[in-house]
Amino acid sequence: MATPERSEPPARGAVAQKILDGGREPDPRFTLANERTFLAWIRTSLALLAGGIAVEAFTGSVFDPLTRTVLGTVLLGLAALLALTAGFRWVRVERAMRHGRPLPLPLIVPVLATGGAVAAVVLLVFLLIRPA
Amino acid sequence: MRRPPARPPAEALHRDPGLQPERTVMSWDRTLLALFVAAVMFLRWYATVGLAALAPAGLCGLAAMAIHLTQRRRYGLQSLGVARERVEADVFSVLWMMVLVVALAVLGALAIWVI
Repeated sequence: MATPERSEPPARGAVAQKILDGGREPDPRFTLANERTFLAWIRTSLALLAGGIAVEAFTGSVFDPLTRTVLGTVLLGLAALLALTAGFRWVRVERAMRHGRPLPLPLIVPVLATGGAVAAVVLLVFLLIRPA
Repeated sequence: MRRPPARPPAEALHRDPGLQPERTVMSWDRTLLALFVAAVMFLRWYATVGLAALAPAGLCGLAAMAIHLTQRRRYGLQSLGVARERVEADVFSVLWMMVLVVALAVLGALAIWVI
């Protein structure tokens, strides 16, 4: 595969430039690692999304409609929250690297842990009290 | 039988022993697979909610196709970037991926509540 030769700095659109917020180009390895971290979060989000849809599509014989609706909505809500957080975190990490600042803490981790724990407890309770 | 003309030896696009471009491109591949799983879940839901499940499933498929078709270009750009110690942060891909997953979640929630 032929590699296109370019010697000038990467040309960016105005939007990308505004989002990246100036600074110096970081080590390319860090930029790629940040991209992979974002993708890992997005996959987690997609798993929650698929889980939410699965609750709706597969559990008709296990849960009453209200439980299904609530559980599915909570999972979908978490999925959306996680995707948004992942995107904003990617931008914040990218900016921090470009300005040599310390990386931001992942605030979503406690949120996700709490959400997962709540969902698991809800599931357990409903499985226990459901008529045999 | 004639042998095909010898090809010049393949030239490595980068010399990064950490294989960063490979890992990143494969990470996109895993994301593509996750999209595929989500699409299948939406399709399974078709019997209940009909077209409301077909739209997000199609969206997942389109996104997976878009990722697949840009993989080669992505690998080229990232290899070049690593070789030159200067890689362009892929703002566009990150943003559309984020918007896509949020849109999928919203479509799913709409299908749950409206239909």
